[in-house]
Amino acid sequence: MESIIQIKGLTKQFPVGAGKFTALRDISLEFHRGEFTGFVGPSGSGKTTLLNIIGSLDTPTEGEVTVLGRSIAHLTHKQSAQLRNQHLGFIFQTYNLFPVYTVYENVEFALLLQRLPTAERRKAVLDALEWVGLTDKMDSKPAQLSGGEGQRVAIARAMVKRPAILLADEPTANLDSKNSHHILQTMKQLNEELQTTFLFATHDEKVMGYLRRIISLEDGRVVKDEEIIMDKITEG
Amino acid sequence: MLAFKLAFKNIFGAGYRTILNIAVLSFAFVTIIFYNGVIDGWNQQARRDTIEWEIGQGQLWHPSYDPLDYFSYQDAHGPIPEGMREEVSAGRLTPILIAQASAFPQGRMQGVLLKGIPPGQAILKIPTHELEAQDGQVPALIGKRMAQSIKMKEDDRLLLRWRDKNGAFDALEVTIAGVFDCNVPTIDGGQVWLPLAQLQEMLGMPGEATLLVAGEGFTPTGNTGWAFKDHDYLLADLNKIIQSKKGGSGVIYGLLLIIALLAIFDTQVLAIFRRQKEIGTYIALGMTRWQVVGIFTVEGAAYSILAILLGALYGGPLLWYLGKVGWAMPSGSQDMGISIAEKIYPVYGAGLIITTVLLVVVSATIVSFLPARKIARLNPTDALKGKIQ
Ligand SMILES: Nc1ncnc2c1ncn2[C@@H]1O[C@H](COP(=O)(O)OP(=O)(O)O)[C@@H](O)[C@H]1O
Ligand SMILES: [Mg+2]
Repeated sequence: MESIIQIKGLTKQFPVGAGKFTALRDISLEFHRGEFTGFVGPSGSGKTTLLNIIGSLDTPTEGEVTVLGRSIAHLTHKQSAQLRNQHLGFIFQTYNLFPVYTVYENVEFALLLQRLPTAERRKAVLDALEWVGLTDKMDSKPAQLSGGEGQRVAIARAMVKRPAILLADEPTANLDSKNSHHILQTMKQLNEELQTTFLFATHDEKVMGYLRRIISLEDGRVVKDEEIIMDKITEG
Repeated sequence: MLAFKLAFKNIFGAGYRTILNIAVLSFAFVTIIFYNGVIDGWNQQARRDTIEWEIGQGQLWHPSYDPLDYFSYQDAHGPIPEGMREEVSAGRLTPILIAQASAFPQGRMQGVLLKGIPPGQAILKIPTHELEAQDGQVPALIGKRMAQSIKMKEDDRLLLRWRDKNGAFDALEVTIAGVFDCNVPTIDGGQVWLPLAQLQEMLGMPGEATLLVAGEGFTPTGNTGWAFKDHDYLLADLNKIIQSKKGGSGVIYGLLLIIALLAIFDTQVLAIFRRQKEIGTYIALGMTRWQVVGIFTVEGAAYSILAILLGALYGGPLLWYLGKVGWAMPSGSQDMGISIAEKIYPVYGAGLIITTVLLVVVSATIVSFLPARKIARLNPTDALKGKIQ
C-alpha cells in the first residue's frame, strides 16, 4: 500500500512558564493508505498533540512530518487550510457540531468551503447521511440528537468530502458501549469501502478491539508499534 | 456569501442579546435620521422663507451698505442706478430704502429701522399692498415679533422720529395698517415698513434706495457700482448656523450610536470567548483563520443590517408621520436670529438615508472586526481545547 504519512524524528515542545515541556520526543513513523490505526496511552502521553500535528493544526518543533507529500512545517496558513479542507477529516470527543445549523447543514459545511456545485453537494451530503444512518434526522438541530447520533453526524461531516485521512481524537469517550460499537463499525466499514486511512487517539478498550495497528505512547515516546493479525474476532 | 449565510444563522440562533443589540442600534439609526431630517427640514424652510420674504433672487447693494454696521445706514443710499430703473419699473427689481429712527410706543423710546418699499411690489411676500395710502393716514407694516415687543396691533398709532438727510429731526405719527406673520426675524424685529415714496419724502431722498431686491427673470449685468449679492453670499450665515446645529445634534446621536456599538463590541468579545471550539472546528474543517475572522465580522455587520430593517419597520411609519404633522420647536428658539418656524417639517432625503445606512453598517462592521481580528492570531489547537484566556 501507498505510504501517505511520514514522520521522522518528530519532537514537540510547548513553552511552559520560562521553560519548555516536551510533549513528543523523537518520533518516527510511517502510515499507509487504508490503515486503521490507533495511538493509545495514558492521558498526557501526547496522543492529541501527535494527531494535531498530522492534521496540520500544529507544527513540529523538530523533525519532519510529511502528509500526502506536503511538509507540515512549511505550509502557509492557507495551504494547511486547503490540506485540511480537501484531504483531512476530524472527529472530536465532543463532536463539535455547529449548534445553529441542521444536521444537513453541518454535513454540507465542508463542501460549501470547497465550492462544490449544488447538485453534487446535495448528493454527497445525502450519501454521507446514509452511511451513518441519519437520513431521517437531516432537518434536526444538534441539540435534538442523542450522543451517538451527534457523533455520527460528526463522522458524516468528516467523511462527506471523502478525505484520504480521518483523524479521530477520543471519538467514543462520551458514548456508551452500544453507541461506541455502532460508530466504530460505521468507521470500519467506511475504511474498507473508501480506503480512508483512520488514525485514532484513544485509551478506550472498545476502540482498541477494532484497530489493526496499535501504537503505544508513553511520555511522548513510542513504546510499542504492533500490527494486529486478522484472526481477532470483531465484536458487535 | 457563505459568510453571510452563516452570520444570519448564528445571529438568529443567538437569541436574547442579539435582539437587544439590534434594538439599540436601530434606535440610534432612526434617531440619526430624525434629527438630521429635522435640521434639513428646518434648513429648507429657513432658506425658502428667507428667499421669499427677504432676499429674493439676490440683492444689489449700495456701495456703502453693510447690514451689520448700523452706522453705515446713514450714508448707504443713493439714486437707483440709471441702468436699473427699467428693471424696477418692469417689476424685476424692488427698491428698498433703509434709515434709522426712533419709535415711541406707549411713551417709551425704541430704536427702529425704517424700511421703505413700493406697495405694489410682488417680489417679496411682505403684504405691501396694505401700504396703499388710505384717507390721509400714513400706513406702516410691522411683523408679529415687533408687534409683540411694542405691544401694538392693527390700527394703533405709532410716533416715529428721525433725522432727514441734513441731520434735522422730524417726527410723524403712522398707523399700523397690518401685522404680518413670517418666520424671518431680520425683516421683523425692530423694523417698521413704510411706503417707499413716503420714506423718500421723509428723508428728503427722492428716487433713492439702499438696496434692490431681484425677482425671477433678473440677470445682473453691467457695472453700476452696486454690488450684486447672490444666494451663496446672502445665505452664508444661515448655512453656518445649520452646520453648527448639525454638529450639536451629532453629539446626541453620536452617544447613542456609541452605546449601540459598545454593545456589539461586547457581544463579539464574549462570542469569540464562548465559541472557541466552534472557531477551532471551522479551522479544522479547512477554513483559514482570516475566513473565520470574516465570519465573525460579517456577523457583526449583519446586526447593523437587521437593525436597519427593524428601524425601517417602526421608524418608517413614525418618521413619515412626524414629517406630516411637524415637530414643534421650543418657544425660545424664535430668537436665534435666523428664520425658524414654530413647527418644523422634517425632510428625509435619499442622501441622508444612504449616508446614515452607510454610517451604521460601516461602524458596526468596524467594531465587529476589532475583536474578531484576534482570531487570526489564535492557535487552533488551543481553541479546540477551549483554552484561550
Ligand atoms: N498547548 C500546550 N501547552 C503546554 N502543554 C501542553 C499543550 N498541549 C499539550 N500539552 C501537554 O502535553 C502533554 C500531552 O498532551 P496531549 O497530547 O493532549 O495528551 P493526550 O492526548 O495523550 O492526553 C500533556 O502533558 C499536556 O499537558
Ligand atoms: Mg488527548
